[in-house]
This record gives sequence, structure tokens and C-alpha cells, in this order.
Amino acid sequence: MTDTTTTVTTSSAQQHTAESLSVWLVDRIAVYLKRSSDQIDATVPLAEYGLDSVAALSLCGDIEEDFDLVLEPTVAWDYPTIEALAAHILEELSTQAGAA
Amino acid sequence: MKSFETFTELVLHRTADLPSKDAFIFLHDNASGSDAERLTYATLDQEAKRVASWLQQRGASGGQVLLLYPSGLDFIKAFTACLYAGSVAVPAPLPGDQGNHFSRVTGILQDAEVRAVLTDSVNEPTISGWLRDAGITHIPVLATDLPGEGDASAWSEPRLTPESLAFLQYTSGSTSAPKGVMVSHRNLLANELAIQHQIHGHQDTRLGGWLPFYHDMGLIGHILQPLFLGGSSALMSPISFLKRPLRWLQMITEYQVTAGGGPNFGYDLCVKRVTDQQLATLDLSSWEQAANGAEPIRAETVRAFTERFAPAGFRAEAFFPCYGMAETTLLVSGTPHGQAPIYRTVDAQALEQGALAEVAETGARTLVSSGVVHPTDFTVKIVDTDSFREQPEGHVGEIWVKGDSVASGYWKRPEVNEEIFNAKLRVGEGAEETVDAGWLRTGDLGVLEAGQLYVTGRLKEMILINGRNIYPHDVERQVQSLDPAFGIGGGAAFSVDAGEEHLVLVQEIRPNAPAAADLPALLASARSLISREFQVNASVVLARPGTVRKTTSGKIQRTLMRKLLLEGAVTAEHQHLEQLVADQIATQAPAAQPQPAPVG
Repeated sequence: MTDTTTTVTTSSAQQHTAESLSVWLVDRIAVYLKRSSDQIDATVPLAEYGLDSVAALSLCGDIEEDFDLVLEPTVAWDYPTIEALAAHILEELSTQAGAA
Repeated sequence: MKSFETFTELVLHRTADLPSKDAFIFLHDNASGSDAERLTYATLDQEAKRVASWLQQRGASGGQVLLLYPSGLDFIKAFTACLYAGSVAVPAPLPGDQGNHFSRVTGILQDAEVRAVLTDSVNEPTISGWLRDAGITHIPVLATDLPGEGDASAWSEPRLTPESLAFLQYTSGSTSAPKGVMVSHRNLLANELAIQHQIHGHQDTRLGGWLPFYHDMGLIGHILQPLFLGGSSALMSPISFLKRPLRWLQMITEYQVTAGGGPNFGYDLCVKRVTDQQLATLDLSSWEQAANGAEPIRAETVRAFTERFAPAGFRAEAFFPCYGMAETTLLVSGTPHGQAPIYRTVDAQALEQGALAEVAETGARTLVSSGVVHPTDFTVKIVDTDSFREQPEGHVGEIWVKGDSVASGYWKRPEVNEEIFNAKLRVGEGAEETVDAGWLRTGDLGVLEAGQLYVTGRLKEMILINGRNIYPHDVERQVQSLDPAFGIGGGAAFSVDAGEEHLVLVQEIRPNAPAAADLPALLASARSLISREFQVNASVVLARPGTVRKTTSGKIQRTLMRKLLLEGAVTAEHQHLEQLVADQIATQAPAAQPQPAPVG
């Protein structure tokens, strides 16, 4: 499990934390689920919000574009809550930063 | 054009004729762009002969061969290998891909009586493991991308006739009862010719798209049509498209795609997700036929896409609304070349009662024509489903189809075939009455007016979301297996048209079951399951026993349940309704009745 206080700096010199990633994910997911951000709880499985295949893959594409990561298309099902997804992205970013 | 007896003969001729030409270009996805992999006609020929010889050595000639591949050139080589071996290809979704399970593929494998499985080296270990676990030991599996197996020089041309089967198309039928459409070489050649008539195809035609290769439109339209024409095709995976719809339009720009498309939702997604800045980099002027089919065509989408992408060179007359299905191989009707789609705004209430009429005081509905039927390819009649007589022009009925493209039926389903593929039209009156047999009942409702075919609805209960067929029975059964509180046989799944199709499940709860004490938890578990297994968002209504209406023979009345829900006549114990559905109930329900409030 990634420590929530970890900060990762990517090549674009942006600093990411689990919290900043959660905020970013909530905003994106709210758009796909046609809800407002305050209706999305980071600990509730996205499936309970009725996440569909188009939304799940759109999200995957957004993460890839914004963080320059290549993810499995099933990522939104493998890490089913925003909390888990944020931790996963952070871990991927640290691996990438470590490799660079 | 030379005429061919079988599609195999045609492909052999094309590959000999155009050896160095690129037949297919596949775009592999990465975060920053796409890598193109090319396949010439000569390489396709060599690879297909090598794999075909392996199939012939294993006695799979004349038998069914299951193809389990991700989108990519290996699928195309394997499909062609089946044609070359005289085998019957059975394309199926790769298990684990977008909610597809081994159980569905096992159903297909058993129904189709396959003699061999072809896949790639990445998926071979999983697939072999699955077969072992299922106790299936007699079916050989080959990873066709490994060069060692088979020998092109050992291949021999099969003896086939036009009636030989080319492939089984398993797009219809629920998970529990998969149905494979039997497409013969005659059907396939007839439909490829019908497509050519519609798109004015030739050797410079470049098809292209992102549909799955096991999908009828992906296979017949984007892969076999280029082979038929001696043309070429640019392809990408559905995952690449769904992640970034822009990539599809970039592919059209870069590879000057002239024809191809997908279901309505794909165009919708482009309108929603492509930014102004991205739009400025696109050139869609090569696109002559942007096919819109495989799910209901929405006037709003066609208009919005045309307007949005006009600055990128997209022309209104390039939109190609069309109609077809696996049972007719693929295409039945399409918008004539060089003509813009035709819209028909009619009175919504009159349409529900079965007629096209000018808009009166009630609501209007704008239909998009699915185009015209080429008279040498098909005959289409609109038939009243009570009398089995042809409807007059401008009246709604079931769409019935006849022609060389119509398959002979579903594999091993003689009773269903008699009803669906050999329907009998009543002609003439009284003593003069005769029966005209051999019609395909499409299960779709439509109307013909001035030669244009408008698809207006569906008799069959199948639900179509994001281009995928969902069978109500599958949804009901899976939810009911979650907990004893969900009454078995006490559910009705159906779709509500809320600008797009939306899935609704009305499910009875057994009040004495322990889990019934926590309805919110039951509701969450049902919605989670539907999201994970079917990858769609659903509205779920939990209700008392006796809510779901059945016929005297116990058949669930799903259409009636939709009507009752929209009229506000279904009382929920607990529910989650998507806003769009709640809004429809609010509009349609009589004001005097209490209306269920949206929850969640």
C-alpha cells in the first residue's frame, strides 16, 4: 500500500499526492457519471455508481494522457474505488520517476 | 468483375493478383500515438496457407474452428486460414475482454462443436488452462503467431460449394443459449456485393474502423469487404477508440479512410470528447461513407456530428445510416451514395399507434431513414404481426427480409429457424389466398415510405447499449443468483429510451429473507453486479412480490413492465433511478398518481 503522504514529482515537474490524484479523479468521474463532485465518495466502489465500459475506458484514456502512463484497460475494475485508483496511479508514477 | 463460387476462391484470386499491396493496416495504441503494422496480400496468403495446413492435418477441414483473438492482424490471418482450410470459422470475444467470461465462450464452444481453437501466444496459456479446467482435452489449441507450426507448401485447396458454411456468427442469443447464424459462402458473397452496391466500392476504397472483429459489422464490413474489393482497410481496437475517440478520426485523417463506421454511440462520443483544438488537426474530407448502424440511429447525433465536424471537411452526404443484422450476413439497406441522410419528423403518438403522420398537438419524433434497399439484393416487406399480411406504405410493422444474403438459420435450431427464417406471408383474399414462405422475421419494427426504410422500434426484448446486445434474461438471472432475497423469476429487465437506451431492472424482494432487512445494501449489490458483469449503468427498482407481471404461461411481460413503470404504476420499496428515467416517469405518469421519487 502506498503511503498517502508520498509526493511524486513527474517529468512535467508536477507534484502529485494521493489527495491531489483523488481530487482529479473525482472531477473526471463526476463528469462520466453525470453527477456533481460532492456526490462521489472516494471509498465507495465505482460499480455502485453504475460505472459503464465507456466511462471506465474514457477514464483510463484520461489518466494516460494527463500522467503519461500506460494502464491496463481494466484498471477501473481492478482498483474499484477512487482511493485504490489514486494509490495505484501514485505507485505507477513513482516507478516511472524511479526508472527515469 | 469475375464471379466466384466461394469466398475462398475470391481471396485466393485477390492475393495472387495484388501480392505487394497492403491489405490491412492495424494501429497499435500507446499513450503518445499509434504504431502501424501492415499486412500485404502476399503475406496474408502465406500465413493463411501455413495455418490452414495445420487445420487440415488435424481434420478440422469441414469442421468448426473457434477464433479467440484480441483485435489485430493475427485474427485476420486466422480467419483467412479457416477459409483456406475449408473450415467454418467461429469468431468469439476473447474471455476477460470487456466483461466476457469463459462461461460464454464455453457455451459457444460446445454449441458450435468446434474441432480446434486458434489464438495468439499471449493468450494461449490461459485458454489451454481454461479448456483443461473445463475437462475438454480433445480440442487442439494453436498459437498462430508462432512460426513453427504448419507448412504453407503442404496446404491443399479445399473442395467447397456456394452452400458450404463460411462461418458461424454468434452475436445473438443470450449467454445461456448462444445462437450462431450460419453464413454460407453464397450468403457472404451476396452481402459483400450488396455492400459494394451501396458504397460504390472499388480497389481504391479504403475501409476503416474500430469495431471488434467478432462483431458482424467489424468482420463483414471492415475486414471482408476490403478483401472482396481488392481494397484495403485501416483498423484499431475498440479499447483504443473508447480510451480516446480522437484516435479513430486521426486514423481516418492519416490513412484517408473512405468508408466504415460503427454504432450511433461512437459518433456521440466523438461529439462529446473531441476538443476544438483537436478538431483543428483533423481532415475528414476523404470519408465518403460514415456508416451508422447496429443500434438505433439518432437524428440529434447525426446532426450534431455533421455540424461539429464540418470544419474538418466532413460532408453531410458522407453520413451513411444503414440497417442490417447478422441474420442477413450484414447490410440490408443504406443511404444512397452521395446523398445526405433523410429525416422525417412525425407525430410521436400516431407513430406509437403504427402510422407516420404529420405532427399534431402532441410530441414530435424525428426518424432518420436507414436508406433504401437495392432491389437486386433484397426484398423487404413491412408486415402486420397479427395477420401476417403486408402493411400499406406509411404503416409500421415488422421488417421481413428475403434475398441471397439471408442466412439459412441458426446452427442446430430447427424449430426456431422454421419460425424466424421461414416466415409465411399471407397474400390475396378469400379463395385466392396463398402463402409466400421463406421470409426472415427481423424482430425489428419499421416503416417504408417513398422507398426509404425507417426503423422505429423492436419487437424482440434485446437491449442495445453502446453497440452491445444485452439479453434481459441474463441480467435477471445473474442478479437473482446474488442473494435468496431476490426472488427467482421475479425480475423484469428492459430498456427505457431516454435519449439513449438505458437499462432498468424491476426486481421483487422476498420480505422474509434475512437480507431484505437492508434494502439499500441489496440495491447496491445489484447495481454493482450489473456494472461489473454487463458494464452498463442500470436503474434498479426493488419491489414487493407480485409486482412483476407474467403471462398465464409464466412468461415475464417486460414490455408491459416498462409501460407500468413509465406510467408511475410500479411501487418501489427502494430504488435508484437515473435522472433521465425519473424525468420520463414524471412526464408520462398521470399527475393524480403518486410518483416514485428518485433515490440515490
